[in-house]
Amino acid sequence: MKKKAYFKADEAKTGLGVFKGLEVRIGQIVDDEWDEPMGPTPMPNPTTLRAWDHKLLTKYQPSYMPYCQVCCLCTFGKCDLTGDKRGACGIDMKAQQARIVLAAANIGCSAHLAHARHLVDHLIEEYGPRTALIQGPGTEIHAPVSSLVTGMRPRYLEDASLILDYCESQLAHTLSATHTGQEGSWLDFESKVLHAGMVDQVSMEIADLVQISTLGFPQADPEAPLVESGIGMMDTNKAIILTIGHNIVPAASITDYITEKRVGDEVEVGGMCCTAWDITRRDPKAKVIGPISWQLRYIRSGKADVIVVDEQCVRTDVVTEAKKVKAPIISTSDKAVMGLPDRTDDDVASIVEELVSGKIDGAYISDHHKVGEVATKVALAVKPKRRKMKFFPSKKQIQKMAMECKKCSECIRACPNDQNVMEAVLAAQTGNFEPLRDVYRNCIGCARCESACPNDYDLHSWMVVAAEADCKDETYMVRTGRGAIQDTEIRNVGQPIVFGEIPGVIAHVGCANYPGGGKDVHDMAEEFAKRRYIIVTSGCAAISAGHVRDENGQSIYERRSGEFDAGCVLNVGSCVSNPHIAGAAIKIAAIFAKRNLRGNYAEIADYIHNRVGAVGISWGAMSQKAASIAAGFWRLGVPVIVGPHGSKYRRMLIGNPDDERAWTVYDARTGDRVVTAPGPEHLFYAAETVAEANVMTAKLVLRPNDTGKGRSIKLSHYIDIHEKNYGFFPEDVWKYIRRDTDIPITLKDKILAQMKENKWKEKRIPDPTLLKEQIIGGEK
Amino acid sequence: MVMRPVPWQTGEICGPDSAKSLAKSDVIKRDLSKAKKPLLIVGSEAVAEKHGKGDMIDYAIALSKAGSIPIVATGGAIKAFIEKGFEGAKSMGAMELASRLQDADWKGPHGKGPHDMILIYGIPYYMQWTLLSAVMNFGTHITAITLGRYYQPHAKWSFPNMKEKQYHELLDEILVLVGGGK
Ligand code: SF4
Ligand code: SF4
Ligand code: SF4
Repeated sequence: MKKKAYFKADEAKTGLGVFKGLEVRIGQIVDDEWDEPMGPTPMPNPTTLRAWDHKLLTKYQPSYMPYCQVCCLCTFGKCDLTGDKRGACGIDMKAQQARIVLAAANIGCSAHLAHARHLVDHLIEEYGPRTALIQGPGTEIHAPVSSLVTGMRPRYLEDASLILDYCESQLAHTLSATHTGQEGSWLDFESKVLHAGMVDQVSMEIADLVQISTLGFPQADPEAPLVESGIGMMDTNKAIILTIGHNIVPAASITDYITEKRVGDEVEVGGMCCTAWDITRRDPKAKVIGPISWQLRYIRSGKADVIVVDEQCVRTDVVTEAKKVKAPIISTSDKAVMGLPDRTDDDVASIVEELVSGKIDGAYISDHHKVGEVATKVALAVKPKRRKMKFFPSKKQIQKMAMECKKCSECIRACPNDQNVMEAVLAAQTGNFEPLRDVYRNCIGCARCESACPNDYDLHSWMVVAAEADCKDETYMVRTGRGAIQDTEIRNVGQPIVFGEIPGVIAHVGCANYPGGGKDVHDMAEEFAKRRYIIVTSGCAAISAGHVRDENGQSIYERRSGEFDAGCVLNVGSCVSNPHIAGAAIKIAAIFAKRNLRGNYAEIADYIHNRVGAVGISWGAMSQKAASIAAGFWRLGVPVIVGPHGSKYRRMLIGNPDDERAWTVYDARTGDRVVTAPGPEHLFYAAETVAEANVMTAKLVLRPNDTGKGRSIKLSHYIDIHEKNYGFFPEDVWKYIRRDTDIPITLKDKILAQMKENKWKEKRIPDPTLLKEQIIGGEK
Repeated sequence: MVMRPVPWQTGEICGPDSAKSLAKSDVIKRDLSKAKKPLLIVGSEAVAEKHGKGDMIDYAIALSKAGSIPIVATGGAIKAFIEKGFEGAKSMGAMELASRLQDADWKGPHGKGPHDMILIYGIPYYMQWTLLSAVMNFGTHITAITLGRYYQPHAKWSFPNMKEKQYHELLDEILVLVGGGK
């Protein structure tokens, strides 16, 4: 394979040695301490892994559902691309959809990559380039994703920087491919989507590795602390600082300042989205208020005395909203300045004075050392007067206002979840607030209903008032992010996973664009945890999974262990912690099968795809980051399920169970082509309901490599979940039977009958691979 | 808004082509009689939607029986058919359908295709919207008629955001049109 990646630095002291006039060409990197031979594809460029991508994309054909049928990206347009029309540049509808998918993956990747770059530069400045990177005890296989992709093990912060150089160069290439008159084939666009996803996974791994190594986070710790979570957990007797976003640095300066000044009794910090996870990883006294879609409800409540935003998924009207509740706001990231005056270079006292007096609504402060002090001082100063203010209307006032409703339905038409807001408003006219409370439960806090309302009703606030008791009752203990999975844990479960005896690893990740409330995430996780699947969580999904209490008042994290083992539920952390999930799969190949992972992407992905029954679920997937995270899993051959809103990503990767050829693998022992059952059946799939997602999950963990025992365990869960949710015995069980040993004993009669009906024949269990080069002794 | 053929969810505007308004049952008479192999697609929301004395699952069963139209249920709606003792429906995912309907040779879930028409309702609005976009752009051998209350721009025929009462009346007229409702 060609190795074109190349980078240069005047002087670099790296873990690999000191280089003057360093020029790194791919294939020439040497890690002296690493005796593993370099694999075939270190630092792949956008076409290096094209052959692997094409194998996946042939098996799982993109199914496009154009979300927009015109293109307006250049002044040739707008171009009508419907039917078999082409745009002025020559592009057709399929390629255009693939192009937009690539644009989304690039945007997602850029957000993580820029976040990682900020962290690395900041931490090098704080701690020095030779600061060691440590994932934690029992993690001999260090930074598995980076090692797999780049062939380098990042030992020091400066190595992390070199790896990000590689990622940045790749992103420039994949982004440029979306320009008018570049890539023209949907297949090659899609291959670049996978490339962007892989690069994204590397940059996330670096981001989490550097923060775990330097900021006092739990290090691969199954017993990471339980922390307080939920709106009701916030102590309003203290001044409250709300942090929103994904980047720990400014938030950490706040918790550090509070600790240093010993003012923890007077002020507390709560986070939303991934900043919440990361501040609690650093300081378990901080709190996780809720997922990203809780922003508006909490800001509107007026309980936050200061709002500090960093980056990604922050509401872009946060300044306007903060102003409504007279909460000073501080923006901290150059990516999200939010129109605020730059006060970075001013002295703390003057910034505090202006924010407290209300002379300015907010300030942009990029010097993170100042953020902690300013936020804390302002919060303490404004709290007494803010606690006397009331921000929500009373139920009586709402009832009166509701009388003027025009019954125009615009609120319903605007609601992404089709909530009957109008009926709820009409009920409020009579003093019945229950329907508004019901809307709250299914609401993702987007406020589109308000924007649409001709009466300018604060409809979302009304829902929060109606659901006041529910908000108060949001009190949970959730386990903060543990980071990586230990090699020893992999050693214990590698074999049962590959043989199928632990039926699967299911990862609940991503955002909170839920079709019917966050409880669904918990219910899905619990359904499979009790069946002894391994459940991994991260990001907003990890918060929602913890926001349900059982009859003993416990959350899923309290009643289940945080180890990587059957029936456990482990939270790896924030969005950038997702690569630990991929890393676990990679480590299974390295530890259990003793495969070399260094620069050896296709072989390891092929191994994972055919043997490791892992499925990602992003029930509330919303962002472009969720798209790039999914793409990183796809390239490793791991299927991803999203909720119904995920159909708006406009393309699925769907397998065709009727096409035998698509399910043919090589038997690595003999080189024969062997037809297998469709497993995993799809690579990217939006499920309409929780019922469908559960059935699909149980099916997508099936792998060609399952042993008889493993296959029969997986099938008995699939059958049970199918019967429970669909009300009948699945008709395709016979396809998954290769030999008698695959048949779940208790269901033998039914399955044998089905096999007979379908003229079943015994099949071989191959040593499955999609790669000719994996055939022992070469191709026949 | 009601009775206007504009997308029900405000932002879900479509491209240059959009569905014709099915404000009277007569307008689809010709297409219905021309269709050789229609398929009725019923989504998860149909279970909770009332129609007459029953629900929209009952309506599907009546329509299927009247016009000998095979049913495929999505998102787990199959359970409701089975509970009503109707055995003829098959189950598939909406996204699987969106993919397979693009193939002009696909025999369909019952093996009775290839289908040249789909009648569809009950999938969440935006998801049905995307499914129909796949059909409109890449499944051009198919005539799509939506039988949900709200306007779906990517069909050939769609109700124009009907008032509830009129909507159900029109559904009954359509049932008569395919030979049922007696
Ligand atoms: S990029 Fe191509 S399809 Fe898009 S507007 Fe320009 S010419 Fe038209
Ligand atoms: S704020 Fe809630 S109810 Fe209003 S449109 Fe958004 S999801 Fe619907
Ligand atoms: S948009 Fe406003 S005025 Fe119109 S129905 Fe909804 S609440 Fe009433």
